[in-house]
Amino acid sequence: MSATVPIAGPRAVRPLVPVTLLLAVLLPLILMPLAAVFVFAFRGGLPAFGKALASPDAQFALRFSLLIAFATAAVNAILGTFTAYVLSRYRFPGERPLGILVNLPVAIPTVVVGTSLLLLWGPIGLLGKLLEPLGFQPMFAPAGVLLAHLFVTFPYMLGAVKPVLDEIEATYEEAAYTIGASRWQTFRWVILPTLRGGLFTGALLTFAHSLGEFGATVLVSGNLRLRTQTAPLYIFAQFEAGNVAGANAVAAVLAALSFVIFFFLLRYTTNRREA
Amino acid sequence: MAITLEKVTKRYAGTTIVDRVSLEVQTAELFVLLGASGSGKSTILRLISGLLPPDEGAIRLGGRDVTMLPPQKRDVGFVFQNYSIFRHMTVAQNIEFGLRIRGVPASERAVRREELLDLVGLGGLGSRYWSQLSGGQLQRVALARALAYRPAVLLLDEPFGALDVKIRAQLRQNLKQIQKTLGVTTILVTHDQEEGFELGQRIGVIERGRLLEVGAPEDLYAHPRSLFAATFLGAGTILVGRCRGERVELGPLTLPIPPDVPHDEGDRVRVLFRPEQVSLSADPPPPSAAVLGRGELLEESFSGSFRRVRLRLPALPGTRQLSPALPYGENALLIEAAVPADGRPIPAQAWVALENWHILRQPTPRLLVADSGDASDPALAIARPFVEALDGVATVVGIASGSSGQDELREALGRRAREAGLDTASVRARAGDPAEQLALEQSEAPYDFLLLGDTEPALRSGKRRAAGLAEELAEGVATPILLARGAAQLPRKILICTAVGEPGKADVRAGGWLARRLGATVTLLHVSLEGRTPTPLVRAHLDRGIETLRELEVKGRATVRQAEDAIEGILAELETEAHDLVVVGGPVRGSRAPFLRGGGDSVTRQVLRRCPCSVLVVPEGSW
Repeated sequence: MSATVPIAGPRAVRPLVPVTLLLAVLLPLILMPLAAVFVFAFRGGLPAFGKALASPDAQFALRFSLLIAFATAAVNAILGTFTAYVLSRYRFPGERPLGILVNLPVAIPTVVVGTSLLLLWGPIGLLGKLLEPLGFQPMFAPAGVLLAHLFVTFPYMLGAVKPVLDEIEATYEEAAYTIGASRWQTFRWVILPTLRGGLFTGALLTFAHSLGEFGATVLVSGNLRLRTQTAPLYIFAQFEAGNVAGANAVAAVLAALSFVIFFFLLRYTTNRREA
Repeated sequence: MAITLEKVTKRYAGTTIVDRVSLEVQTAELFVLLGASGSGKSTILRLISGLLPPDEGAIRLGGRDVTMLPPQKRDVGFVFQNYSIFRHMTVAQNIEFGLRIRGVPASERAVRREELLDLVGLGGLGSRYWSQLSGGQLQRVALARALAYRPAVLLLDEPFGALDVKIRAQLRQNLKQIQKTLGVTTILVTHDQEEGFELGQRIGVIERGRLLEVGAPEDLYAHPRSLFAATFLGAGTILVGRCRGERVELGPLTLPIPPDVPHDEGDRVRVLFRPEQVSLSADPPPPSAAVLGRGELLEESFSGSFRRVRLRLPALPGTRQLSPALPYGENALLIEAAVPADGRPIPAQAWVALENWHILRQPTPRLLVADSGDASDPALAIARPFVEALDGVATVVGIASGSSGQDELREALGRRAREAGLDTASVRARAGDPAEQLALEQSEAPYDFLLLGDTEPALRSGKRRAAGLAEELAEGVATPILLARGAAQLPRKILICTAVGEPGKADVRAGGWLARRLGATVTLLHVSLEGRTPTPLVRAHLDRGIETLRELEVKGRATVRQAEDAIEGILAELETEAHDLVVVGGPVRGSRAPFLRGGGDSVTRQVLRRCPCSVLVVPEGSW
């Protein structure tokens, strides 16, 4: 709270000049692009927008993206919580490097992630080479997209859950143990409920990032329409093909979804801070 | 259900936190573990609850060996100092948690929950959350939650620590009532002596991981056996006198020593008297009274039903004060007394007499063994026979140059102590300047002897030789310092170097005491400067020394040598006779000891540096 108070002391009396300047900068940078998506999407009227959305390719891309986002959030909720629990409750050699390593995906360019996954799982990749004869080929398939999204969004869940876990004092669990709760019961009835907030935030963040993922997806999916094409890939493909209306319609839906998620997060985090 | 601990030991990073604690708590008893913070009392509770596994020993709950059982299988209720109330649950859900885990049906849970809410006086608050309760209420929720599943044993870790004084007093009474009603075997841990007295049917006093003594509050207060318990459990004065003819001498006053606390002739005897056992009067007391002397009133403070008074009395010859601690340089006795606050003025000069007193048990000799942790250090090997012969307890201490090396050093010391056969020794690692740290260690827990191996450099961190360190210590530490040299065997022939100019006879007493315990013979040596005939004064001085030895029942003879200076005489004596321990006084400064000075160096320093055998330095006032 105190951080927002200007150092100079009382609020400046004439806000007109700095505020105008700020708006002049932000308008082309952030505000206008946000508006542009919706303006272009509805330029042809609502029927044209509906028609663009109704195309089978667009329908598939949106549904596939939502499915992948749900799956990513679900898998990473479990995986991230488990990782956070192990990292915060157990002391073992290599614990620190591991803690740094699992946060690395946020720092790696997503295209690099896609390349690495191809080099590992692809038909000539380290593991893919072995899987090929078995008839299992994750790359250029939905499984590959999921793998890429799990990798890219992994740190978000961890980052939301681990601080909450670290804050729980040791006696909290010990109290449950002495009362008679097993390790699992303690986790289920004592730890997990306190993680609710972190899990919710982490899941929303993961979902939002998965929905917009492009760099890694474009490499591992092969961008196959009606098979592995996610919404961002569909937008890109339609733009390239000159179908701006089709691209815009899906872009508008993605933007709207992101807004909804964002406002959920905003409301939830402010509520928590006030409580 | 009875709680039994059998030689339970817990170590952490080489430090022994709980040291061979044996204890039996009776069924339905309310037992209090009392100790300062860091004494290991909370660790004992965690060992009983199963939250920590012991390194050694056995724990039994009602005859069932639970040493290796996890906390879930022990059937204990635990109340933590911070209560650890589950924040996402209501009070009711918190209390029912143990029952839910055990699969008790909801209707039964509700009945039990209401019962407990009424028991702890929280009726109607079942639907509240953590944030809606006061500290005292949280504590009661924690208690109800720990009792819900009717555990065999209730463990409370400083349950009143986080509460203010007024609520504390009220909750203590509640707890006592509840414990009595339910008849659940309870151990409560606290550092608050008053709390221990009020709650405990019996109290166990813990110091540095050891259970020093156990007893009813009144008994521990009136008849403590150890110095720690005497000072920890309430105010009072402790004086040290000497045993003479089954009485203790405090200057002209002598008090009988009861047969249950046997002391040997000449031994130091510690006399405790509580403030309310001291009587003050303006007029001289009758001759039959145990009069300490006449003193001046220093301060008084009103505390309700009585006034606390502190008086300064002239020092008594041959008497030392242990508690309350004297300010540096104070050569007097400080006596604490309590007088009824009935409005009568306290005379500014009052006669101080004892109405009652208590004599502490003969203490176990405590040795502090300073070891470098290196294989070449002879300290531990030499210490072992001493510890055995004195029937004493040893603490092994090492000094690391920085705090980073402390853990490693502690482990090395522990290993070396075990290898040397000092399995029962406590191990401590400190960091910093050796002389400073050893002085600190001594002030934290008084030792009777400090043993130092003659190595170079001394104790790893220092650049000095051990002899230099011993000399420095002798100036700053009121403990005899043994600089150990040569083979790991007990001295058979002790040479005590004494001189007429010496202010006291601590060296004769300490050397004699050691000789008696070790069964060694003593030679008293006086060196006269060449060309001077020994004066009658020398003869008288040596006679007194022999007399002191006889009191200690030690065989001794006196000898006088003529030499260029003191150290030459001592070295010459060592050449003719195979003495294996030389005893000298502490370094004496100035002109008080003209005979002792040689070439500007103190005799102490020269003896430490030049004698080939072990040397015991006895600083004045240390014995």
